[in-house]
Amino acid sequence: MSVAEIEAVDVGYEVAPSGGLWRDAWWRLRRNPGAIAGFVLVGAFLLLAIFAPLVAPHNPNEQDLQAVIKGCPCGPSRAHLLGVDTLGRDELSRIIFGARFSLLIGVVAVTVGLTLGLLLGSIAGYVGGWIDSVIMRLMDIMLAIPGLLFAIGIVAMLKPGLFQIMIAVGVVNIPIFARLLRGSILAQRENDFVLAARSVGVKRWQILGSHVLPNAISPVIVQATLALATAIIDVAGLGFLGLGPQDPGTPEWGTMLTETDRYLQSAPYLAIFPGIAIVLSVLGFNLIGDGLREALDPKLRGRT
Amino acid sequence: MLRFVVRRLLLLIPILFGVSVLVFAWIHALPGSPAEALLGEHATPQAVARLRHMYGLDKPIPIQYWNYLKTLAHGDLGTSITTQRTITFELGHRFPATVELALSAMLFSIIVGVPLGFVAAKRYGGLLDHFSLVGSLIGISIPIFFLGLILKYIFAVRLGWLPSIGRESVLATRPHPTNFYLLDAIIEGDPGAFWDALRHLILPAVALGSIPLAVVARITRAAVLDVQNEDYVRTARAKGLAPFVVDSRHVMRNALLPVSTIVGLQTGLLLSGAVLTETIFAWPGIGSWLKDAIFNRDYPVLQGGVLFVATVFVFVNLLVDLSYAIINPRIRYS
Repeated sequence: MSVAEIEAVDVGYEVAPSGGLWRDAWWRLRRNPGAIAGFVLVGAFLLLAIFAPLVAPHNPNEQDLQAVIKGCPCGPSRAHLLGVDTLGRDELSRIIFGARFSLLIGVVAVTVGLTLGLLLGSIAGYVGGWIDSVIMRLMDIMLAIPGLLFAIGIVAMLKPGLFQIMIAVGVVNIPIFARLLRGSILAQRENDFVLAARSVGVKRWQILGSHVLPNAISPVIVQATLALATAIIDVAGLGFLGLGPQDPGTPEWGTMLTETDRYLQSAPYLAIFPGIAIVLSVLGFNLIGDGLREALDPKLRGRT
Repeated sequence: MLRFVVRRLLLLIPILFGVSVLVFAWIHALPGSPAEALLGEHATPQAVARLRHMYGLDKPIPIQYWNYLKTLAHGDLGTSITTQRTITFELGHRFPATVELALSAMLFSIIVGVPLGFVAAKRYGGLLDHFSLVGSLIGISIPIFFLGLILKYIFAVRLGWLPSIGRESVLATRPHPTNFYLLDAIIEGDPGAFWDALRHLILPAVALGSIPLAVVARITRAAVLDVQNEDYVRTARAKGLAPFVVDSRHVMRNALLPVSTIVGLQTGLLLSGAVLTETIFAWPGIGSWLKDAIFNRDYPVLQGGVLFVATVFVFVNLLVDLSYAIINPRIRYS
């Protein structure tokens, strides 16, 4: 048994109805309690992000100066369920509005990495030859620099900010997707159905688009979901280092954790609540990613 | 095997050359310069010009790169603009700190992760198994800086059991011949120093080891489940070997193969510097050093440091590939 198969056994699959790969996968995904929990978590954060102005008890930038008048921010109370930050702003409202930024940044970052990675990976894998060598050596060079340091470097070059950290995290993801897709395409390229398509005169790019890519894409989808989880962590890490949005009004989760270090004694909740929001959203994407990996594994199709 | 090693080593040259070009190009694309970072906003243009001339920053970029390569060929990585110490000196102090932290973190993840994964597989489907699965999933979902803050809050602020920053007590003036503080304490025969260094190491190592721990536990569990059903394990059981012997000699030995690969790869990752952990715990290693160098526009530190880190990273990965061939006789590189 492979690792994925063993982990899949935990889920206790029933016999899947016969259908296409995607119908099968969807059927299995719906029966995976972990994946369902992941969808619920991510869905909840999405709803919070969309309806933030309706759900949040306060304006995220409204200051309650009475709450910080004694020199240290007040902890959780009836007026402020999760307390207020050092500027007297409602922590809960900031976390709710923060979902907008943190999820958006994660999605945009992965989209940037995915798009460019897919482009480079499919060119390298399908064209081959010296173009393949050049692209893949470039990816090797990018992978030789530690990811977070690489991202910090890019932000330093572009100056700190919301948009900049999306680009930075996205660029760091490029070589991962490029390598994955190239490997996947190389494996698919040798298949009989590609040979068949070629022999009846289908054009090269058409073969890539309608035969090779659809078959090579499922590991990429799994990786993209897991990359979303890592992207949220990385973005929060950059924010934590002070490289995130420079406007203090932007409630980004990682940025909210900056300097909470100094208030650990008097206001530990300032570190705890935004941190929990990060953990839950990341956990959600990890659960979905794991579920997808099991659901899309062709070796598990039709198993009991 | 030898041909494989030589080929891989030769492949490292273009990669490291590429890294050096990339870093050089990137440094010069950074807004601001070390002159402004050092002299502040109100520096006179003359002072800035003088400093730029001193570090050869007024020359054309290709010439600067050529000069850099020339000094590099002499084994000279340059001098830090902010501290005026040589990069080699700084590396001699900071790399041991990073290595000590990385190895402790890996040790922690192996000591806890392997038994956890093994027991989870043995109690497959049981409470402990579910607990370890959920635990490892949460483990990979916690950002390291958040875990660091929580550990600091519980063990340093609340309980006051462990120190939260640095490698040794602030007032300590101990000799450090190797800069591996634990090793230094043993060499000097100073149990107090050992205990001090160990206490400082615990929180950062646990924070840094959390993700490897989750990964190691997961891989061990899957590998044990996989190996348990092999024919040779059934044979060993059938011929009446004690369960302990079967587990240690037949199951674990084979199950540890994939685990060792993961451990190697994770070590390479940790050795290249844990920026966030080092920042939170004020650990004077490579990661926090390079982060500060970016903020200070310390060009020589960035050039030398990033090149060093990349070299360590690709070398460790090569070692992992080679050791895999050695411990797994079924794989032979040709």
